Amino acid sequence: MSTGTTFSAAGDIQGEERSALIDLLYRLGDDDLMIGHRNSEWTGLAPILEADIAFSSMAQDEIGRALSYYRMLHALGEPDPDTIAFTRAAAAYRCASLASLDRSDWAFSTVRQYFYDVATTRRLALMADSSYTPLSQFVRKVGGEQKYHMMHSRMWVVRLGKGTDESRLLMQQAVEKAYPHALGMFEATEWDAVIAGSGIGPCEADVEASWVEEVAEHLSASGLAVPTNVEPTYGGRCGRHPEELGCLLEEMQKVYKLEPSAPW
Amino acid sequence: MVRVSPTRGGQPGLRGDKPGDPGYEENLAAFESRVSRGDKVEPGDWMPDAYRQQLIRLIHVHANSEICGALPEGGWIPNAPSLKRKLALIAKVQDEVGHAQLLYRAAETLGKSREEMIEELISGKAKYSNVFHYHAETWADVATISWLIDAGAIVNQTMMAEGSYGPYARALKRICYEEAFHLTHGYDMCITLATGTKLQHDMLQDAVNRWWKPIMMFHGPGDKVSRHTDLLMRWRVKMKTNDEQRQQFLKQYMPKIYQLGLTVPDEWEMRFDEVEGVWRYREPDWDEFLHVVRGNGPASALRLRTRKMAHEDGAWVRRALQSAAGQSAVGESVAGAG
Amino acid sequence: MSDTQWQIFEVFHQQVRGEPHVYVGSVHAPDPEAALILAKEQYGRRQASVSLWVVPEDAITATSYEDVDMFDHGTDKSYRESFGYETTKRIKSIVADRTESRGEA
Ligand SMILES: [Fe+2]
Ligand SMILES: [Fe+2]
Repeated sequence: MSTGTTFSAAGDIQGEERSALIDLLYRLGDDDLMIGHRNSEWTGLAPILEADIAFSSMAQDEIGRALSYYRMLHALGEPDPDTIAFTRAAAAYRCASLASLDRSDWAFSTVRQYFYDVATTRRLALMADSSYTPLSQFVRKVGGEQKYHMMHSRMWVVRLGKGTDESRLLMQQAVEKAYPHALGMFEATEWDAVIAGSGIGPCEADVEASWVEEVAEHLSASGLAVPTNVEPTYGGRCGRHPEELGCLLEEMQKVYKLEPSAPW
Repeated sequence: MVRVSPTRGGQPGLRGDKPGDPGYEENLAAFESRVSRGDKVEPGDWMPDAYRQQLIRLIHVHANSEICGALPEGGWIPNAPSLKRKLALIAKVQDEVGHAQLLYRAAETLGKSREEMIEELISGKAKYSNVFHYHAETWADVATISWLIDAGAIVNQTMMAEGSYGPYARALKRICYEEAFHLTHGYDMCITLATGTKLQHDMLQDAVNRWWKPIMMFHGPGDKVSRHTDLLMRWRVKMKTNDEQRQQFLKQYMPKIYQLGLTVPDEWEMRFDEVEGVWRYREPDWDEFLHVVRGNGPASALRLRTRKMAHEDGAWVRRALQSAAGQSAVGESVAGAG
Repeated sequence: MSDTQWQIFEVFHQQVRGEPHVYVGSVHAPDPEAALILAKEQYGRRQASVSLWVVPEDAITATSYEDVDMFDHGTDKSYRESFGYETTKRIKSIVADRTESRGEA
């Protein structure tokens, strides 16, 4: 349904396509920032040293991507990345609730990361030919990094799903808890049709369909039951967030706000 | 030819490695002449039991310090005030966890398991560096630790990287490379704060004031107090005395501290003796130092509680993967990425 | 045993194709595949890398340093080295001889 137009730089995109692109970039950036922030809370505290090191890399990759999306936003006339990241009120963030929930235990963190990685992989694949050139170029650059994310999170789900009775139970509980929030990642915004129509990115329903299929397959292969008839937790894409995001922001902005206009 | 794992040392205490054992003197002479030639000692080699025990203790404490050192700074990751600082701090703390991983492994080659070493840490039996027994109270503490404590660590670690035990020296080469990033990252943060607003500058000065005592104690008791240094030097377990390391640190960093418009607390009476070319200072209270490293510092209880909780919370994960390891089907299901 | 730190795998790292895999250290991991995934971040997060190997620590058989003298050479082995031959010197002298005999003719 793409119009076939390519927008090779920030200056080339106008009107509703520009608004749609900005909406998409805020969602991508905010998701990455929040899940990266949550994952970084494990640094130094993971179940074993080797896992600690790998999980810190996930956090860095995600926050690094948030920075890249925020830079794209800045090029489109939005504030600079740190202002975007550190000064907004909760309602201005566009992250899905999945990304901002507390880190909870290792079961929840790895299940969340797996759900998020599948969505990201699918989304990136569908954006590799984005009509917005800076986005398609970026997406191609992180493809390899994302491949490793998938191996890493699939490994955790299957190992813990098939581990002991205890681990299977904890993983199943984590799946039940995270699943509605994961579906919330695919909440379509008012710009959904424009994004898909202009070839900037996929429509959310397409990402969701392929996500549901892949997740069901891997959960089953990992000895975990796939939740059915789940009511998605929507709201994040239009600024309605769980309380956890408020706490997260308070922590995140604490030092920055001591001197909001000074470099740190 | 013997079948031995190249990275695993013999069982401690089985091979005539204590004074009085048959052949001990001859073996010791050969060992010492190798070490004095600058040859490295490798895990399967004959070594005096005292050398083995000293190294296990030293590397164990060093590894503990890395993993405990991840805590005061790690606690500030959620509060890092810019995206770049946040990324760098995660990477820095990740490196410290990585250092613990490398060092526990180096100690393992001497015959003590990582499990045992971690148990001894969280039970309070094994020590870790004095500096991590204090709280990181503000963001400026993170900057100060990353700059000055890591600087002190580099003085120690570049020296130790020349030591006689192969696996430890190898781990330290890699560690020193990463420490160079920590130092620069910390220095950069301190420069920003020192040249920033009054609030930022004062925050940094306050951090330096509070950290100066732990920093002055960081290299350990002065040479008058510290025992058994001679033997450790002869075996190249240690190449410089504590006071020599402290002097090296002060010579390198006092000018840099002043250059940033910072001071250190007057009570230390720091002054450079132009004649002797050394820094003079009031001797730290080494009884207090010992009291702190025995687990009575302001943050000691919190550090151990945090490490213990992390370790216990992770127990089910380690058990589960131990069990999943026996299942061959597991591998296929990871490899088939979507 | 009350706890587990899994088993030990030795890690080998290749920086670019064509170069040898070099031993870089170890990881504790439950199985080879997890070992690769975990080793990638501990040993490949800064260095350029194209390949990693992991080997269970106990699968390695090694010589003992006590037997290091078995690597000594008891007799002259220069016959299997290029430095054991004097071809350049010899050919020079042959050429020199020829020039000399031509001069006489
Ligand atoms: Fe370190
Ligand atoms: Fe460091």
